[in-house]
Amino acid sequence: MARPDPLAGFERQTHTINGVKTAVLTAGRGEPLVFFHGAGTWHGFNFARPWAEKYRVIIPFHPGFGESGDDPGLSDMHDYVMHYLDLFDALGVDKLRLVGFSLGGWLAAKFAMEHGRRVERLVLVGPAGLRGKTRPTGDVLSLPPEQIPALLVSNFDVIKPYLPEGPDLDFMGDRYREGGTLARLLWEHPYDKKLSRYLHRLTMPTLLVWGEDDRLIPAAQAEIWRSFIPKADIQIFKGAGHLVLDEKREAVDAVQRFLS
Amino acid sequence: MSGNVRFDFMHFMPYVHLPENQKDYKSLWVDFPNKYYDPQKGHALYQRYLAELIFADKVGFDAVVVNEHHNTSYSMMAAPSLVAAAIIPQIKNAKICVWGTPPNLEYPNRLAEEYAMLDVMSEGRLEVAFPLGTGMEYWANPINPATARERHRESIDIILQAWTQDGPTTYYGDFYTYRYLNPWPRPYQKPHPPCYIVGTGSPETVELAAKLGFGYSSVFVTKQRALELNQNLRRLAAEHGHHIRPEQLPLQVITYVAETKEKAEEEAIEHIRFFFEDALRTTPTFLAPPGYLSVAELKKRAALADKLHGAFNFDNINESFFVAVGTADQVVEQLEEWGARVGTNHFNILGAIGNMPHWKVVKNLTYLGQDVIPRMRARAASERRVAAE
Repeated sequence: MARPDPLAGFERQTHTINGVKTAVLTAGRGEPLVFFHGAGTWHGFNFARPWAEKYRVIIPFHPGFGESGDDPGLSDMHDYVMHYLDLFDALGVDKLRLVGFSLGGWLAAKFAMEHGRRVERLVLVGPAGLRGKTRPTGDVLSLPPEQIPALLVSNFDVIKPYLPEGPDLDFMGDRYREGGTLARLLWEHPYDKKLSRYLHRLTMPTLLVWGEDDRLIPAAQAEIWRSFIPKADIQIFKGAGHLVLDEKREAVDAVQRFLS
Repeated sequence: MSGNVRFDFMHFMPYVHLPENQKDYKSLWVDFPNKYYDPQKGHALYQRYLAELIFADKVGFDAVVVNEHHNTSYSMMAAPSLVAAAIIPQIKNAKICVWGTPPNLEYPNRLAEEYAMLDVMSEGRLEVAFPLGTGMEYWANPINPATARERHRESIDIILQAWTQDGPTTYYGDFYTYRYLNPWPRPYQKPHPPCYIVGTGSPETVELAAKLGFGYSSVFVTKQRALELNQNLRRLAAEHGHHIRPEQLPLQVITYVAETKEKAEEEAIEHIRFFFEDALRTTPTFLAPPGYLSVAELKKRAALADKLHGAFNFDNINESFFVAVGTADQVVEQLEEWGARVGTNHFNILGAIGNMPHWKVVKNLTYLGQDVIPRMRARAASERRVAAE
């Protein structure tokens, strides 16, 4: 059986940003809502379609992930912030609502702390980035790739359709490529030891969303984030793991309510 | 075959006293618990292995070869320069090949100094190789596998600058800044010891060796790949203005010699089995940390990995890899054929195979030293005479 198209329902555009091919998915009309994806793009963005009823949803593939090209010159998170300044110029996006998941949550926080005036509302979904000394972030780079999907969800059936049924060299190669991009960024430190120092700059209304059963980045880290961010609410969803948006429609709706 | 035949004896110095439950571990690398290392047994093994390296010199090998691995029972040489330093005063003729410390795992200036020390101590008998390091080394050391190849090139650049330019010089790179690159001592050999790249024939390492005009010491390559590798290297090196000589292409051969073919197989196969099935056993994730390989190379290797790391079938191994097990006559014939096919006269002999006991290593080295090496030298010399006439 063919796997469902993880990008169904989106329009695809391609931009060349500083020499790197950048693929962008869009859907809907209205104020821009940008979603920064996490380190694995195989499960797609079907969860984001309800947002397109009210917003112009923009989902760029980060360079080195999914349909975007590679740029080994992007070697830290700040390089990605700079990449998005250029992409947003190309897209004509000035102010935006920003939602970031996992690695993309870390990137969204970093973008918002540096360019806070542009980010009207910020949603961080199971964000990476903190070391979380007593509630540590799992080190996804040290996990065998075949073990990762099951670790990300509470209910495996939700993601099963997106995974190959047996050994699949292309799927394996795609994941290895995304892992390599991640290693380039994070091998030395799978967290940003200075992140908490600057989180107070997130002065926009901020929502922290987590799956209660997140086995990669414990939901208990939500409290650490809130302790540094001036105006942050927390919503934790039962019966969901790291991929809380894929697993719980309620989480998708909660994001939509918060953004409105 | 042209030129002098050269024989190296390569030792991995494995820790062989594995626990009975060792098969329960998917990998004997990276995360194999080090509680299983008994230093008293380790001491006895060092004594024995050092003696075997020294013995190889006595029976007529041209060189002894040591190398570096971490977090594994496969090798007790986390620091091969220490082994080289221990044997230099006891080895009278043979070259000392440290093939080698991955430059990414040390500061380049320090590696330049270490090797220069060994070269001076050995009166110019050092040869060095610059491996990228296996994927497993990047799980054991705090170095990014995704930038390993760029760092590797820069490290070699720094080492060569340190050896070939009068110091102090400066180096402002992507990974290292040197305000005073001025290592003491300097190498005994001029401009520097013979250098090799070590690898399994990836396009990146072959290109690097070609660019630098270095030799290429291939490890665990299949017969088909060795041929392609040597051809590619010669062609690419020529494009960079370098001529690769046969002796720059050491061919790694698992070798065991006994009275009869049957006896040789009977005595060697269990250790070859141990070598592939146990010593080399590791996981795909450890072999290929994120970013260490190109995606294309990862896909290519996915098939080969099963053959090399973990599963054992002597016929398959024999067919795919360079394994010469038999009488002296058979081994001579085999080595000559392979040498001619891949274009080398330089054989890197794995003669202490896996968990082979001391007596077999001594027997093997003795046969090689008495019957194989002199015969191949004599035949090569007579070919040279014929060619000269």
